[in-house]
Amino acid sequence: MKLPLTHHRTVARLYFWLSLGSVILGVLLSLVMRFHLVYPSKAVGLFQLLWPRGAQGGVMTPELYLSLLTLHGTVMVFFVLTLAPMNAFGNLMLPRQLGAAHMAFPRLNLISFLITLVSFGLLLASVLTEDGGPLSGWTAYPPLSALGAIAGPGQGLGQTLWFFSIGVFCIGALLSSVNVVATVIEMRSPTMPLMAMPIASWNWFITAILSLLSFPVLLAAGMLILLDRLAGTSFFVPAGLMIADYKSPHMGGSPLLWQHLFWFFGHPEVYIAILPGMGIVTTVISAFSGRAIFGRRAMIFATIAIALLGMLVWGHHMFTSGLNPWSAIAFSILTLAIGVPSAVKTFNWLATLWLARGELRLTTPMLFAVGFVSIFVTGGLSGLFLGQPELDAYFHDTYFVVAHFHIIMGIAALFGIFAATFYWFPFLFGKVLNETLGKIHFYLTFVLAYATFLPMHFAGFAGTPRRYADFTSFDFLTPILPLQKGITHAAFALAAVQLLFIGNLIWTLWRGAAAAENPWQTNADNGEAY
Amino acid sequence: MPSLTQSNIGGPPPVHPELPPGGGGGDGDGGRGSGGGSTRAASMTAIIVVMCASFMTFGAFLSAMVIRRGLSNDWHKFALPRILWYNTIVLILSSIAIEAARRMLKRGRRSYFTPLWTIATVLGTLFLIGQFTAWNQLAAQGVFLVGNPSSAFFHVMTWAHAAHVVGALLAVIYVEFLALKYELGTRGRTWVDASSLFWHFLDVLWLGIMALFVFWA
Repeated sequence: MKLPLTHHRTVARLYFWLSLGSVILGVLLSLVMRFHLVYPSKAVGLFQLLWPRGAQGGVMTPELYLSLLTLHGTVMVFFVLTLAPMNAFGNLMLPRQLGAAHMAFPRLNLISFLITLVSFGLLLASVLTEDGGPLSGWTAYPPLSALGAIAGPGQGLGQTLWFFSIGVFCIGALLSSVNVVATVIEMRSPTMPLMAMPIASWNWFITAILSLLSFPVLLAAGMLILLDRLAGTSFFVPAGLMIADYKSPHMGGSPLLWQHLFWFFGHPEVYIAILPGMGIVTTVISAFSGRAIFGRRAMIFATIAIALLGMLVWGHHMFTSGLNPWSAIAFSILTLAIGVPSAVKTFNWLATLWLARGELRLTTPMLFAVGFVSIFVTGGLSGLFLGQPELDAYFHDTYFVVAHFHIIMGIAALFGIFAATFYWFPFLFGKVLNETLGKIHFYLTFVLAYATFLPMHFAGFAGTPRRYADFTSFDFLTPILPLQKGITHAAFALAAVQLLFIGNLIWTLWRGAAAAENPWQTNADNGEAY
Repeated sequence: MPSLTQSNIGGPPPVHPELPPGGGGGDGDGGRGSGGGSTRAASMTAIIVVMCASFMTFGAFLSAMVIRRGLSNDWHKFALPRILWYNTIVLILSSIAIEAARRMLKRGRRSYFTPLWTIATVLGTLFLIGQFTAWNQLAAQGVFLVGNPSSAFFHVMTWAHAAHVVGALLAVIYVEFLALKYELGTRGRTWVDASSLFWHFLDVLWLGIMALFVFWA
């Protein structure tokens, strides 16, 4: 049956394809960067072909590396980790789980996607400018990002387009969140009290509220920095700034102000990426344990607690920015407190698995869900180091942070996305992905994800600075180069393994048989199974 | 509403009684809200949520302003043009007119609705014209976006507020259009309630901005 464009499943598919395209782009960029990090002076013809100005003679310039870093971070954070778990699978399953026929505003839902698509187009345009893409990372810290072309190649039109892209993305995300909140509050079956709502729906609901509270702040900050760039105001650029022989005309702005505003959005963004994954994992663990999740009510309150605390800890990203030590202590205590509701969730997942130990079914989505728990615990533990100002002072600008956020925000969320893709594929496309291929894909991904990101902690211990395009010029990093090469090889293998998933996806869509009525044979009495 | 007993916690989603047994909704298969259009309650919830998001945007501007002022010594207060006071009165009057129109419609006194709503629309338009005049008068005094952080924040906040007013005004004009065509059905009445609620929000927001720049910034 051909569905209308405004149908929630059609919109879910559109978000799914956009996220899939984005993750492929993001992974390819990371491979190019990893290659450059360990073979910085090796000439590659493909680089010259792709970036004739940034890689003359096939050797990448530091500026090109930074522009790839910026695009990788932006694509992954906004167009993969924000869109796939929330917009793709939220759209797919929320009305089903609530007993509603559709989202509260189907047309608005499609419009939100189209706005997001425009944002993606603007992001791609930002790297296709004559001077190359912006260099200031996904956090776009001023003054580098606020000064215009004088700050470097790509910092002119490219950076401006980047800010417009993010502003447009904020509008799409806000409209989408309005839809989710209205759907949960008003479209829920009248016989479903809020506390009986499936955990996954709870998590989409809380994520939408987080989006509504945090994206407006990023939008406001984006408007102010665009005025600094385009109109010459001084919100974020300090007085007397010199760049080479150029004296900036700006007066009295503060780069720290941007950091406060950005991280007021940026830290909740971590939970916008991970909370839907937690809901998905709860659903899958419950479904294949054949029982209701252990401590259901505690799971809901833990989600609320994580979201609430997540709004109050932005300062831990600024421990090394010159924060008042008393503020740092407050932010540190609140940050470490997030460990409590996170531990409640982990305990409940493990308790559910333990109680169902004889009845567990290790299907592909279940494997990814259990893998999520492992990755989440690993990433959470390194967070305890970074939540303490004294330790963060050393770790903050090192690969320890790169390891931490890739594990907790990237890999954990991706495992949630894989669990959802395998589990809800019958709802998404009416077919079931190949299980054997799926399991091989899981085991290899699990091992190689650890092989890629765990050694980065050790690189961090050794003081390897992040955002550097080349480690070979530093004597103190020479002993770490073999480790970096190992990471690069693991990353290439991890990316290659994903071809199994792509192959599975294409083959199933092309030749796969239609899914049966209840393809996973889940217990109809278990509400989380939907 | 059923009570939360142990047996139904974690049970299947209790779907709408009109649904066929055995499953949740979704896919336009007749669950709650089937028929395509959004419900009135959903629209009212959505407008409240939009107000929260707008509030956060202005909250971000305000907190940026507090920090920016505290950090620098280049902050200069400037005299607000008198027309801003007139604009404030115009906006309050438009809010009163729009509320009166909404209440008249609710009480079934349809003949009062259109004139009152028209007055609100005209006053809303006048407010925008007044804001343009205020920006021009400030420019004539030498107060621009660039140069003084106080005036920069004033311009940013009043521009953002005016952008919200333009959006709300389009909704108000749409209702006006429906009213003049005598097509204010159930859906039109939802537009009336939602747009008037948002209009009041913009009114309160404006009073907050004025208070900020009169007493502090």
